[in-house]
Amino acid sequence: MCTGRVDPALVAGAFKKGLDGLLVVGCYFGDCHYISGNFQARAKMDITRKLLKHIGVNEDRLAFRQCSSGEASVFVDIIGKFVDRIHELGPIGGGGDRLKAPEIFEKISTAQAVLGGEKIRWVIGKRTPFLESGNMYGEIFTEHEFNRAIDMIIVEETEVQEILAKLREGAQSVKDLAKALAIPTERIFRYITALKRKDMVALEKVSGRSPIFQITPQEV
Amino acid sequence: MPNKEDNIRIGVFVCHCGSNIAGYLNMEELGAYVETLPHVAFAKRNLYTCSEGGINEIKKAIKEQNLNRVVVASCTPRTHEPLFRSSCAEAGLNPYLFEMVNIRDQCSWVHMQQKDDGTAKAKDLIRMGVAKAALLEPQVPIISEVAQRALVIGAGIAGMTSTLALANRGYEVVLVERGERLGGMLNQLNKLGPTMADASAFADEKVKAITAHPKITVFTKARVTEAQGFIGKYKVDIETESGVKKIDIGVIIVATGGRLLVPEGLYNYDGKKVITQLEAETLLKQGLDKGVNNVVMIQCAGGRTKERPYCSRICCQTAVKNAMLIKEQNPQARVSILYRDMQMYGVENEEMFRDSKAKGIRYIKYEPEDPPQVSDGKVSVYHSLLGRKIDLAADLVVLSTPIVSQDGAEATSQLLRVPIDDNGFFLEGHVKLRPLDFATDGVFLAGSARFPANIREAVAQGLGAASRASIPLSKGSVVVEPIISILANEDACRGCGLCVALCPYGALEIKKTDKGRKVHIIDVACKGCGVCASTCYQHALSVNSFTDDQINAQINAFLE
Repeated sequence: MCTGRVDPALVAGAFKKGLDGLLVVGCYFGDCHYISGNFQARAKMDITRKLLKHIGVNEDRLAFRQCSSGEASVFVDIIGKFVDRIHELGPIGGGGDRLKAPEIFEKISTAQAVLGGEKIRWVIGKRTPFLESGNMYGEIFTEHEFNRAIDMIIVEETEVQEILAKLREGAQSVKDLAKALAIPTERIFRYITALKRKDMVALEKVSGRSPIFQITPQEV
Repeated sequence: MPNKEDNIRIGVFVCHCGSNIAGYLNMEELGAYVETLPHVAFAKRNLYTCSEGGINEIKKAIKEQNLNRVVVASCTPRTHEPLFRSSCAEAGLNPYLFEMVNIRDQCSWVHMQQKDDGTAKAKDLIRMGVAKAALLEPQVPIISEVAQRALVIGAGIAGMTSTLALANRGYEVVLVERGERLGGMLNQLNKLGPTMADASAFADEKVKAITAHPKITVFTKARVTEAQGFIGKYKVDIETESGVKKIDIGVIIVATGGRLLVPEGLYNYDGKKVITQLEAETLLKQGLDKGVNNVVMIQCAGGRTKERPYCSRICCQTAVKNAMLIKEQNPQARVSILYRDMQMYGVENEEMFRDSKAKGIRYIKYEPEDPPQVSDGKVSVYHSLLGRKIDLAADLVVLSTPIVSQDGAEATSQLLRVPIDDNGFFLEGHVKLRPLDFATDGVFLAGSARFPANIREAVAQGLGAASRASIPLSKGSVVVEPIISILANEDACRGCGLCVALCPYGALEIKKTDKGRKVHIIDVACKGCGVCASTCYQHALSVNSFTDDQINAQINAFLE
């Protein structure tokens, strides 16, 4: 098994259960036992870290480092530095993170849903082809363009998953969702429209003048 | 804990490894702890689990205790997993229902001074191993036939050597050469250093042997246009002058060689008065003109530059060899070699280097920032010991240019799905451990296709690659570890091909099925890296013995 097997959703799952730090150590680029798995690992961990940071987890809690099996002292150095840093940060949801326990764990649940979800996994998977051989129109993306797209998707997907999580608790209006999640109404409306199109949410009823939306059975 | 079977009975064997583990961890505590873990039906400490006694205890416990999972907490799976697995198999337990925990390297060795911490970590690791073991599923090794025929691409010295070696072992070999004749670069050489054997005689001998060999089929002016399949079962298309031949191939050796850089625009290269070492070989073969009394050679011509940062390794020995041959043909000739660093690896090359100095060949070091200037009849160079520019008379200037990657190397790399490096040379599976194998099983490489090699090295590599290639051929089948990707949820797969693009081994393909387009895993080609499983947005793919559930169980056990 390769570092390329490290699934972002599993990483988020571990943090959700109280993990304080995760260090992924892979081979050097060009010297990977599985040819290119370490490239995938780094890409996946980079995006996972971005997302964790976005939701309020200190980004230093997830690291990707490289060393060869012949470099004992380098390995010790990597581990030592990482462990020291995690000790500095303390337990997850404490002083080291923007968000505190227990809210942080709810947010990490959202992150886990994002990382297990279709959209971000698709984009992560397409990263290598997009940067190397281009999309279906032959357009090759720069790393910068790709990262900008990822930043946007992280924001949107987090909000979408928060909406879905809220709706799993019960049907709500756009206005209530906006209030509960502190997201502008127009954005909620846009997401709901998109989710409706994908058959992930549906109109439950109209209460007064506000439509109330509920999650569709297959998304529960 | 999610379990598919209710009656999971795990046996855990904790090894003392003499004092290797027991000397640094609290074994009583560890032994007592193991018994408290879920599903553990039997726990035992052994002085050496790998000894005959230890192995017998595993076998006995499997039978008497009705164990259906075994965990050994001991040393490294690198050396001992096969042994413990086969012990399980001998006792009738599927060997993939075995899990190994490394409490020696990861606990007693690295935490030698911290007995309590080391013991606590060993508990964590064993708890994780047990949690995973509970979810392990039986696996069956994959066995696939190997077509008894090898394909060798390129008929230079490396390819010819591989071909003969394999054919002499009784295997059918198909040798494909895109040129008109066999021999490759060898045909242009004069004498082979350091023995000064005659290159033509050597080439002729090989070509004759190949042509006469009943097991060898040679296609010249031919190229491989298609190679579908995997180790043992390649379907190869060879485009020849008489049409396309479709041949079943078991193993492939890439020996496409390299190409000498033609230094157009460098040092006034003209192919007459300023020539390459390869052209010098031809000149020397014919006999040097009488008028050539002053020869200047320039090393690293077009090599070790920004575009070609590597050292081509064999140009220095070639230059020294040719300088000696010039001296032999014309003892009065003054030969100077302008160099940056002399790469004369090996005892014989070193000796030749020393001899050349005794014969009066002059060596002048130049700096890449201030390279020699070639003008009509002379070369001027900055002499760092004299501290000034000197002019050397030159009837002939010989440029030592590097071997660069072969034309079409990239196409070959795509055809066979094997990697090439930044310089266009083929990339071996591991520089030290698998130098003649590609990471892809069943494809091997030799000679300058891999990196600039002299004739001796190309021969050695040709023999080596043939030797590696004959392993699957002689076994007749390949047995593949079943720790590979599986399409765990076929309905979820949408046949998008995301995983196909990322698979480093070309082990995935999209196939049309009754249920639509689905991914298909070529199990013999899969190495179980798991990139596909961690990428699939439908979570349709998984890896045997490393499923999400199993990894999650370990994470949960760790965070308990």
